Amino acid sequence: MQTLVEARNLRKTYRGRVVVNGVDLLLERGETVAIIGPNGAGKSTTLDIILGLKKPDGGTVRFWRPDPLGRIGVQLQQTPFFPGLGALENLKLFASFYRMKLTDARARELLELCGLADAAGTEASRLSGGQQKRLAIAASLVHDPKLVFLDEPTAALDPKARKEVHALIGKLANAGTTVVFTSHDMEEVHRLATRVVMIRQGRIAAEGAPEELCARFGTADLEELYVKLAEETEEGVRA
Amino acid sequence: MNMTILRSMMMTSLRDKISLFYATLFPAGLFVGLGLYIDTPGYAPRLMVGVMALGALFWSMAGQSFQVLQQRNKGVYKLLRVAPLPSLSFIWWMIVARTILGVGMSGLIVLTGVLLFDIRVTAAGLAWSVLLLVAGSLCFTALGFSIANLARNEAQVNMISNLLYVPMVFGSEAFYSLEKAPAWLAAAGKAFPFQYLADGLNRTLVLGEALPLFPLLMLVLFTVIGLLLAVVTFRWEEHQAILGARG
Repeated sequence: MQTLVEARNLRKTYRGRVVVNGVDLLLERGETVAIIGPNGAGKSTTLDIILGLKKPDGGTVRFWRPDPLGRIGVQLQQTPFFPGLGALENLKLFASFYRMKLTDARARELLELCGLADAAGTEASRLSGGQQKRLAIAASLVHDPKLVFLDEPTAALDPKARKEVHALIGKLANAGTTVVFTSHDMEEVHRLATRVVMIRQGRIAAEGAPEELCARFGTADLEELYVKLAEETEEGVRA
Repeated sequence: MNMTILRSMMMTSLRDKISLFYATLFPAGLFVGLGLYIDTPGYAPRLMVGVMALGALFWSMAGQSFQVLQQRNKGVYKLLRVAPLPSLSFIWWMIVARTILGVGMSGLIVLTGVLLFDIRVTAAGLAWSVLLLVAGSLCFTALGFSIANLARNEAQVNMISNLLYVPMVFGSEAFYSLEKAPAWLAAAGKAFPFQYLADGLNRTLVLGEALPLFPLLMLVLFTVIGLLLAVVTFRWEEHQAILGARG
C-alpha cells in the first residue's frame, strides 16, 4: 500500500495552550479515514498543519510526491461559492485554481457524480444545503485528486441530504480516491470509514478500524467509545 | 485559466445587483436628475466628471471591499492556499475585471452626457480619462481591499467606507467649487485620492487639457500607499479580521 501522507510528531501551541501534542498520522492510498474527537481536541489544527495552512511548532509532514497541492482536494466547512455564478460556472472557476481548464463535458460528469446533473445552471447560492455540500465536494474533485479532505461534509444537513453525501463519499472510495473526513456523527463514521482516528487533547487517543476499536475498548459502538473517551478527557481536565 | 478567472469575476461582479445599482444606476440617475434640474451653463460637464469619479469610487472601493469580505468569509482565500494557483494571481485578475467594468460604466456616463446634455468630448480627452480612471480604480480597489481586511462583517465595511466617503466627496470639487468653503475642508479633500481623480477627469474631458501629470502621480502615490496597506493588513480567514478579532 502506498503512503500518501506521513505526519510525524506534529506539535502546535497557541498562547501557551498545547493544541496538537505529538500527533503521528499516516494516510494510505485507498483508505477512508475518519478523524473524530471533541471540539477543540486538535482535529482541525492537525488537518490545517498537514495541508500547510498552519505552521507547526514541531514535526514533519511528508507527501507521496514533492508537489502534492495539485493532487489534493479540499472541501471546507464553508461553501466558498461565487455569487451570481451557476454550479457549472463555479466548478470551472475552481478548476482554474488548479491551473486547468474544465470542459463542459467533464463539469457535467462531475455534477452527475454528485447528483447535481439538473443543477448545472442554477446559481450555487440558490441550491439547498445538501446540494451545496455536494457541489463543494464536486469542487474538490475538479482536478481529479488522489486524496480528498472533507471537513464535516454532513454538518447541519437533514437526513436525506446526509444520505446523499454518504452515497457520494462511498462512490469516491469505490473509485479508489483516498478520503479523509471529520465528523461528529458516529453512525456515519462507522458506515463510511475504513479507519478511525480519535484525537483528544491534541493526541491520538485511539486508532483502528471501527469494529476493532469497539472490541478493544469493550464498547457496543463508536458512539459509546466516543462518549467514553470524551468523558475520560473531561475527568482528566477536572483532576 | 486566467481568462476563466477574468470572465467569472466579471460575471459575478455584474450579477451583484446592489453594487451594480450604486455604481451605475445611482450615478447615472444623479447625473440625469441634477443635470436637468441645475440648468446652469457649463455645469453638466462638471457634473459628468464628478459622477464618473463617484461611480469609480463606489464600484472600486465599496464594491471591492464587499467582494473581498465575502470571499474571505466564505473561505475562498483559504481554499486558494491549498491550490497551486498563487492567491495574488487570482486577486490580480479580480482587480482587472473590476477595473475593466468600472471603465465601461464610466463610458456609459460619458455617452449619457454626450447624448442628453450635448457635451463635447475629444478622442484625446477620452484616452487620457481612461488612463486616469484605470489609475483611480486601482487606487480605490487597493483601499477597498484594506477596508475588507480591517472589517469583520458588512456593517463594519459600511462604517469604514462612510468614514472615507465623507471627507473624500465633500472635500473635493467634483460637484461644486470649494472657493468659498473653509480652507480645512479643501485641505481634507486633498488628503484623499478622490479629488485628484475628479480634477484629472475635469481637466482632460471638460477643459481639453493633455494628460495632467500631477493628479495622475497623486493617484499612483495613493495606489502605492493603498497597496502597502492592503498587503500589510491582508487576512486569509474571517477570524483573523483586525476589527473584532477573537483572542
